[in-house]
Amino acid sequence: MKSWEIKPARDLGLPLGQRLRSLARERGLVGLALNAAWRHTLRLYLAAAHRLEVEGRENLPPPPFVIIANHASHLDALTLAAALRGEAARAAHALAAGEVFFGKPAGAAFAAYAINALPVWRGRTQRSELKLLRERLLEDRLAYILFPEGTRSRDGTMAPFQPGLAMLVAGTPVPVVPCWIEGAHECWPPSQRWPRPGRLRLRIGKPLVFEDVAPDAEGRARIAQAARDAVVALRPPG
Amino acid sequence: MSAFAHPVTVWIVGATLAVVATAALVIGGLSLAGRGTPAFRRELWLRLGSWCVLLPLMIGPVLAGREWTILAVTLLGLLCYREYARATGLFRERVLSAVVVLGILFVNFAALDHWYGFFVALWPLTVSLLAVASIPQDRPEGYIQRVGLAVLGYMLFGAGLAHLGYMANDPGYRPIVLLLLTAVALNDVAAFTCGKILGGPKLLPATSPNKTIAGALGAVVVTGSVVALIAHSLFGTTPMGGWFWLLLLGVLVSVAGQAGDLMLSSIKRDIGIKDMGVVLPGHGGILDRFNSLLLVSPAVFHFIGYFVGFGLDEPTRIFTQ
Repeated sequence: MKSWEIKPARDLGLPLGQRLRSLARERGLVGLALNAAWRHTLRLYLAAAHRLEVEGRENLPPPPFVIIANHASHLDALTLAAALRGEAARAAHALAAGEVFFGKPAGAAFAAYAINALPVWRGRTQRSELKLLRERLLEDRLAYILFPEGTRSRDGTMAPFQPGLAMLVAGTPVPVVPCWIEGAHECWPPSQRWPRPGRLRLRIGKPLVFEDVAPDAEGRARIAQAARDAVVALRPPG
Repeated sequence: MSAFAHPVTVWIVGATLAVVATAALVIGGLSLAGRGTPAFRRELWLRLGSWCVLLPLMIGPVLAGREWTILAVTLLGLLCYREYARATGLFRERVLSAVVVLGILFVNFAALDHWYGFFVALWPLTVSLLAVASIPQDRPEGYIQRVGLAVLGYMLFGAGLAHLGYMANDPGYRPIVLLLLTAVALNDVAAFTCGKILGGPKLLPATSPNKTIAGALGAVVVTGSVVALIAHSLFGTTPMGGWFWLLLLGVLVSVAGQAGDLMLSSIKRDIGIKDMGVVLPGHGGILDRFNSLLLVSPAVFHFIGYFVGFGLDEPTRIFTQ
């Protein structure tokens, strides 16, 4: 007989302000409904204003997985979130810059309830926080939307990948799904306050697994390079 | 009918305001005299502050009318279920959670519609739906646990608590509902005070280490007497007007109130948490404050219903016919 297993919400007992900014945040029916409404609005917007085309959706595995891409615009996270479907869409959590999205209470509420983002604080991420993210990825079967460059490229060129991705997946069976986003930088570069209409293309590549790679410095460097190579390989020629 | 038409309504609201004012004076006096530790005084102010927010939210809808009372009970049920679902992990079962929420909404709608047949039918109907709702997921592991948690959740925060709102279908509901709201609070205070003064053996040390047998019996005597006395003004001329029945009503309020408290303690001990939430400073979660009402509402509804009934001469199926 299966023994009883009661597992309270990971963020049980946290006051609202802390809960919004907590990596342990788990949502209920209200959060699910708000996020679903946001996702459907987003899909309509991306279809109408950007004629978003998605190629390679069949490469997406069931959660858990980490989906990564080049990063040159706020449209990038929206594009990846809008491309996911079903359980993967509900399990999707964007790892977002805490300073940008969680600085003010209203912004934090929007990032938490609509975008379903988890904050990552630049230069201040502790080992225990990465451990929690890794634990949740596996146990809660989440899908992380992650931009391993760490920040938006100002000119559209790709920067080296930070080691955070490798710390999440090294030695685990969690697949990393490489993607290339084309057109986002032209539509909404970091220098502009609002996006302008324009075509967006998303290419989703075959997943990579780093189960046999040790989570040491050498392993992390290997993962970062392999993941970056896989993203670059999806870039259209020219 | 005026909100203050019955003298018992005036007494209860007046007594509640007097208790809050006295508590503020006592805590103010303690602060001015520097008695007690600053942490203790802060805790007292926090609790009083929470009561000052809670009491208008509890008493206001009852005075405002039938619809407001049922709306307030619906919100209370949903908020209590939210805390329960997060504490037990049931919130991750989104299909079952959605069915429980729908059940809570429907059963309170049945109360609003004054449709007793539907109100009663929702218990087996919702439980049946809960039993089958997660089957299409083809995930038999954990079936009994998740359905069991969902059924208990609907029973406590839907079917059970909605009896409190259903009482509002009676034109004379205000003094009865106010009596219950204040009696369960008095019951907590009486149990705490009698336990502190009389001491003695613990009631159920593994479940709730601070409760004593003397406190529980003291609460039965105090709450039972007060409820019987006030209920005499409400039901003195009805078939329930004999002192035996009035005292039995008082004992029922006290015992069901304490049972609700112990039930929540059992849930918290089983999970390994201290409070169900952090919404009410000094109290914990909403469930920590309202646990006593969960079992009192259906018990008192059916006790009074056996002798007198609720809103028997009032129009029924207001919206559905």
